[in-house]
Amino acid sequence: MNTWIAVGALALVGVLIPLGMMAVSALLRPTVPEQGKRSIYESGEIPTGTTRIRFNIQYYMVALLFLVFDIETVFIFPWTVIYSDAVAQVGLLHALGPMLVFIAVLVAALIWAWRNGAVQWIKSPESSKRSRLQ
Amino acid sequence: MVLPLQEVLLPDRIADLTGLGQFGALGEFVAAFLAAFVIANLMLAMSGVAGPWAKRKITAAFTDRIAVNRIGPFGLLIIPAAAVQLLAKELIIPEGVDRPAYDLAPLVIASSAMLGFAVIPMGSGIHLADPETGLVVVFAIASIASLGLATAGYASNNKYSMLGGLRAVAQNVAYEIPLIVTAASVVIFAGTLQMSEIVAVQAEPLFSVAGVSIPSWYAFVNPFAFVLFMAANLAEVGRNPFDVPEAPTEIVAGYQTEYSSVYFVLIYLGEFLHIFLGGAIVTTLFLGGPAGPVLPGIVWFIIKIWAIFLFTQWARSALPRVRIDQLIEIGWKGMLVLSFANLVLTAIIVGVFIA
Repeated sequence: MNTWIAVGALALVGVLIPLGMMAVSALLRPTVPEQGKRSIYESGEIPTGTTRIRFNIQYYMVALLFLVFDIETVFIFPWTVIYSDAVAQVGLLHALGPMLVFIAVLVAALIWAWRNGAVQWIKSPESSKRSRLQ
Repeated sequence: MVLPLQEVLLPDRIADLTGLGQFGALGEFVAAFLAAFVIANLMLAMSGVAGPWAKRKITAAFTDRIAVNRIGPFGLLIIPAAAVQLLAKELIIPEGVDRPAYDLAPLVIASSAMLGFAVIPMGSGIHLADPETGLVVVFAIASIASLGLATAGYASNNKYSMLGGLRAVAQNVAYEIPLIVTAASVVIFAGTLQMSEIVAVQAEPLFSVAGVSIPSWYAFVNPFAFVLFMAANLAEVGRNPFDVPEAPTEIVAGYQTEYSSVYFVLIYLGEFLHIFLGGAIVTTLFLGGPAGPVLPGIVWFIIKIWAIFLFTQWARSALPRVRIDQLIEIGWKGMLVLSFANLVLTAIIVGVFIA
């Protein structure tokens, strides 16, 4: 039997069960629309400003770094699968050497990012000032 | 290396049992659908027991309380009661939410966590699909959840949700690399990505103590990788000490702040399914899958994933939460470096001593 038919079937079941729960809930639950209860939660205060706020640039830096390393893992997986056979066929040096060089290049990149402060959490000027004063 | 005979997968067994196999592609699909339904409901049952009951009981035991004990034996009937109660709650859609995205996020979180179990061998022939790339498939599916979390955070029009969603993404990307690289170090031993074969390789005896043969589970072969993987897995499922995205004392409930009624149930369910999916991956990679003496495979599988669930709840009760800057530092400066060290060391050891 085709493997991916089975995976697709579970994907279908995985969508149908939540949809079924939504349908059951729609039949059971009351609807009492009121003004007050629909306001967004801001610890009981009246919400101010918009949610599309400026957030820490760090999230962007980390995501960029992730892209690099995620692609790297894609290259590592095929190598790990054939590694044992490759050592038997072409010897340790030729099986391990190129991957060590590949990882070394990426580790160099990580060290660069590290020293550059890409994985150092950026603090706002106010909080840095506060921590200096303490 | 002698591999045991390829086990018959669940859809094929259902096809043989019901005679659906003779109806061609349609019969095949119906059989696969039935098998998928069995597996999805098995995992739903696990999460149903874990969420409203086991989690409370375990936390209560750690903090010297009693927890649910009024309805039914050991308070077990709280499970259907909680299900009805939560589904019957009013669904409050807050003002200004990003509508299709707000509705889609709970669906994505719950569905993706359920889909992950497609390639997990659960023993006793309960194994839905066994593609050659099983391990990569399960990681790919497991990481869809962060998409749902980010959507939930962004669509909710709430500042706490926004921060929670951002934190969830930052955490998942930071800990996914160590998780996958550590898994790759197991693949070096196994030489395959197929889940059934990873389990089969671990059945071989490692050594024997007083006549009892210890199987070569990768938790015994490579304990360092096991510890790394467990830590990265805690972060991946967002439990303490890495529950920064939810952080109830800082950002209310993170990405799920604005969700109520059935949407909340789906996100909550998705989280528990995700914990069990993480447990199932750990079980398959490091604990010999469904292997174990006397009891049938599925029972051992359930015992193992519950042991890992217990571990997450233990960590939840015992460990303080890390800060977001500490989280990023532990991930990128600690776990990542350690996981690459583990990979290179494993490759050298395997290359010199085994191959």
